[in-house]
Amino acid sequence: MPITLEPTRVEEPSIDEHVAPDHPWIVLVWNDPVNLMSYVTLVLKKLFGYSEAKATELMLDVHHKGRAVVANGSREQAEMHVFRLHEHGLWATMEKDGTDA
Amino acid sequence: MNRFRGPVRRKGDRYVIEIGTDETALITRLVGELRALLTDPEPDAEASQLLLRLFPVAYPDDADMEAEYQRLMRDELVQSKLSAFDIIDEALTSMESLDEGRLVAVMQSINSIRLVLGNMLEVTDDPAIDEVDDEHEDSAEYALYSYLSWLLEWCVRALT
Repeated sequence: MPITLEPTRVEEPSIDEHVAPDHPWIVLVWNDPVNLMSYVTLVLKKLFGYSEAKATELMLDVHHKGRAVVANGSREQAEMHVFRLHEHGLWATMEKDGTDA
Repeated sequence: MNRFRGPVRRKGDRYVIEIGTDETALITRLVGELRALLTDPEPDAEASQLLLRLFPVAYPDDADMEAEYQRLMRDELVQSKLSAFDIIDEALTSMESLDEGRLVAVMQSINSIRLVLGNMLEVTDDPAIDEVDDEHEDSAEYALYSYLSWLLEWCVRALT
């Protein structure tokens, strides 16, 4: 992703409770060279209700590590998340939890 | 020199886009071209390649599930993009203020064009080759891509 302006950080409680262990599917966002970092952060906030801090952390994971798990849930929930990420042009995939090496 | 005002601004709970008529005409033309590509019932190989980035694979590890997903969702994704194109067309024609949902549709449409252009230009984030290779660096398409990136950044700022 190309570098853009540093987003404003807002400290809010982590919402890791979204990632419950009994959810068998995970949704991944992959790094791509076109989507702006600020745009990815905004989309993650908008779609998943993440705080600026959490969305920025996930965006940086995507940027530096190549991918990040952004959501999980049932297969139907994961498909809906993937669809909405695709609506925004993000490169999202889904897989069964535990298959991601 | 007057103080610079960004092309996309928040005004209360509404959003205003202010870009020149040339830029408006250009974006409208690009949206039209992309709409034609998306609604082409028999796209050729070149068109399919251009659109590749708009329709990512959902299940990279399972061909059967991927086929099922595409069967169920691809048309819906096309419709979603076409609806967003209608909104950006209307927004650029009327130049009236927009609610948040409509600005999001404008932003999605701008990004769709960037994804197609980025694919065409083989944009990379490898710093060694400075985003695009020399073949594309001076092209009109790259200038356009840069302009749309700038405009998108202002949409993001307005919505943040």
